[in-house]
This record gives sequence, structure tokens and C-alpha cells, in this order.
Amino acid sequence: MIEKVKQTTSEKLLLAVFIILGIVAFYIFLILPQKCLFIKSYDPQEIRFDNPENIAVLNVNCGNVIIKLYPDISPKSVERFRMLINSGKYNNIAFHRVVKNVIVQAGDLEFGRKDNLNYLYIGTGKSGFGTIKSELNDEIEFRAGTVGMARKNKLNTEDSQFFILLEDAPLFKGEYTPIGQVVYGLEVLDTIADDYKREYVLRPDFINSFKMLID
Amino acid sequence: MKIFVAVLLLISSFSPLYGNTIFYLTKIPNLEIYDLNSSNNIKYLTAEKAFRVGFRENNVQCDKTDKNNIKKKFDLIKKNFDIYDKNFLKKINLKYVVLCEDLKVAEIKTAGVPNHKVKTLIVDINFDKRYFERSIHHEIFHMIDDSYKELFSYEKWEEFNTPKFKYAECSTCTNKLDLSLNNESRGFLTEYSMSTASEDMAEIFSFLMTDSENLNKILLKDTILTKKTLFLKSAILKIDNNFKFN
Repeated sequence: MIEKVKQTTSEKLLLAVFIILGIVAFYIFLILPQKCLFIKSYDPQEIRFDNPENIAVLNVNCGNVIIKLYPDISPKSVERFRMLINSGKYNNIAFHRVVKNVIVQAGDLEFGRKDNLNYLYIGTGKSGFGTIKSELNDEIEFRAGTVGMARKNKLNTEDSQFFILLEDAPLFKGEYTPIGQVVYGLEVLDTIADDYKREYVLRPDFINSFKMLID
Repeated sequence: MKIFVAVLLLISSFSPLYGNTIFYLTKIPNLEIYDLNSSNNIKYLTAEKAFRVGFRENNVQCDKTDKNNIKKKFDLIKKNFDIYDKNFLKKINLKYVVLCEDLKVAEIKTAGVPNHKVKTLIVDINFDKRYFERSIHHEIFHMIDDSYKELFSYEKWEEFNTPKFKYAECSTCTNKLDLSLNNESRGFLTEYSMSTASEDMAEIFSFLMTDSENLNKILLKDTILTKKTLFLKSAILKIDNNFKFN
């Protein structure tokens, strides 16, 4: 006859500790690294837009960021941006400058390419299409989700780099060219790799694709 | 080359994060917005924490702005900046005024640090009360001078002085630092005016903007100062024909 052995209290406690440790390990090693887990990905085909010809879709690892462009406010800059999107130049380009919850910047076509990333010069590259004039506007507020053309310290040095604000930046009004506004998926950009020690990111995330909703 | 890149990455990994949108514009870390409602478009910023900045070395330092201190002094500061018209400020590239405490350049106390390239003037709100208002205009002149070097020729300016007089090599290379009004002007309003041509111009400009009545009395007796003042006024009117001296 087999005698049933009862668990002692310390054995029960030990078992409970193992179960808790297992849950914690599962969360740390399997749930936490899945940064996209709680991020909603928007399908632009399922959304109705008033002016679909001005809608651009930026695809990154955790989903789509849907941007409404401002051709009436910054015509020349939007024309440049649209041309670079349509020619696929932004595909596989790094988000090289990222400050968590503040700003993400991408668009260095020369030194930010996935197949030719140059950490030494990233952020200083050119598109090869020349610079364009700043189109400043004293009316447009720079809020979270505003897309602007990045530039050097001087005006009229915009080229291909752009930034997307993750927080309001009232001082940017009248300083940078606004080219659009994120209408869906801003939270996707919170998942872009940053580095808490510096603005310029080592091992950055890349733009998977950037397309106009209507070609 | 690989070693150079490795060293660069190592250095950058120890560099502090200057992560806010104000840093994008001013290149000064740790700032926050204080007031954005001025009619002449000046944006007033304060220091959330102490900061160190500089081009070659971080030799400009300033301490955190105490909230009560700035509250007491802000109206006076704004009153002085409000004298300048929006268009004039645009022409001299002044947009951001950083209000912080105990400003120093290379460990020497100073009233202000202008940097027209980033449209920024750093002001020490704890600067000597007796000269505080005047020092604001003094620093604004440096913004003007930096933006329009061609209008403020130091060679021409030096010709106004007596042939024996020589300025120092730089404003901190001398112990002529007293900002009080000279009893007998003889071409210079203050001892500090004697340090360099640029400081001499800035001192006259500061009196023009804050104490023109007293200045006019001095000019009646001092031909050198009269010539210098006319030169300054004429140069500034070339920048903005509508500029109003107090």
C-alpha cells in the first residue's frame, strides 16, 4: 500500500516561490521584449480620409504611422517629401536621432541606410537633390505628432531629414517647416529604439517602408 | 579609423542626454519654458538644472533658476526687453532669453552671454542690482555687434580716442571692470568702457537705452563721447531706421 505523503508548509512555500519566479521570468523574458504587443496597428485601407492623396503611411516594426501632409501650408517641402516617399528613398533608412517621448528623426539618405550605416557621419548626409528653402509658418502649432523638416542651424538648409514630435514643442513654431501631422499610430513611434545616454542611437530602428496611400 | 570610431563611440556613451526640444534650438541643456507671451516674440526660458555649455570647452556655466527669485525679477527683465521691437529683434537674431543664476564664463562672473547664431542671450538674474537693467542692454548690444560686425568697425572707433590710449586684448584681460559712471568721463563712461572697443560701445549703448538724460548732460562736455555716440546711433539706424533710443 502506498502511503500518501502530505506536503509540509515549507514545501508549499517553496512551490509558491517557484511558481512566482516562473511567472516573473516569463514576463521578463517573453512579454517585456515584445514591445509591439500592446501597440495597435492601423490599416489605412480600413480608414476613410477626406483627402487620401495627402496621406502617407510610414511602416516600422510595430505597425503603421499614418501622416496627413500639408501641401497647402508648405508646398515645396511637401513636394520634396512626397518625391522621396514615392521614389522609395526612405525605405530602410534609420531613425538616427531619438529622444524618448520627445522626438524621432530619420531621413539621412546618405549615411543612414541599413546597408551602409555610418555612425561617424549619420545625421549629416545629403539626399543629392540639394537643399530647399524653409517654409516657416507662424500659425501652425508644433504638437505631439507634428512632422517637420529637419535642418542645420541655418534656415534654408532642409533636404531629406524629417522629425516627428512625440511631445508638444511650442518653440518650434516659426522655426521649422511643418509638413504634416500624424493622424493615427503615434504610439507606434514610442517603440522606436532610443538610447537613454545619447541622442544619436547605436543599432537604430529603420523605416520598413514609406508610401503614399495613393501613388 | 576603427580605433577613432571606437573612441568616439566610447566618448559619446559618457556624454549626458540633452533631450528636449529646447536643446534643439538653443543648444543649451536643462532649460524649460517660462514665458512665451511677449509682444516682441522673445521667448523666456529658465534653467531647470544647472548647465555648462561652450563651443571649444564647456566654459559657460549657470545655475538653476529659483522660482521665487525669477518671479520677483521677471517684470523688470521683461520691461527692459519690451523696449525692442519685434522686427529689430529679428534683425539682430535675438529670440531666446535664458534666465539663470550666477552665470560665469571661464569661472569669471558675467552679466550675460550672447550667441546670435542660436538666437540666444543668457542673462544672470543675480547680477549686481545697481547695473542689472543697464547690463541687459549692454548684452543686447553685443548681439547687435555680432550680427552686424561691418557696421561697428573697431579701427574707426579707436580713432575717436586719444592717440596714447590702447584697449586691452580682451574684456577679461584687464582689471578695468568697474561699471559705475566715471566722474570725469574723458571719452569713457565707465572704467569697463576702457577694456575693449566692443565693451566701450556696449556701455554707451546701455546708457543710451536706460539713462539718456544723464548721458546727454555728459555729452555736452565730452567731444570724444559725443562722436562715439553719434557713430553708434548712426550704425544702429542703418540696421533699423525706425529704431527708438530712449
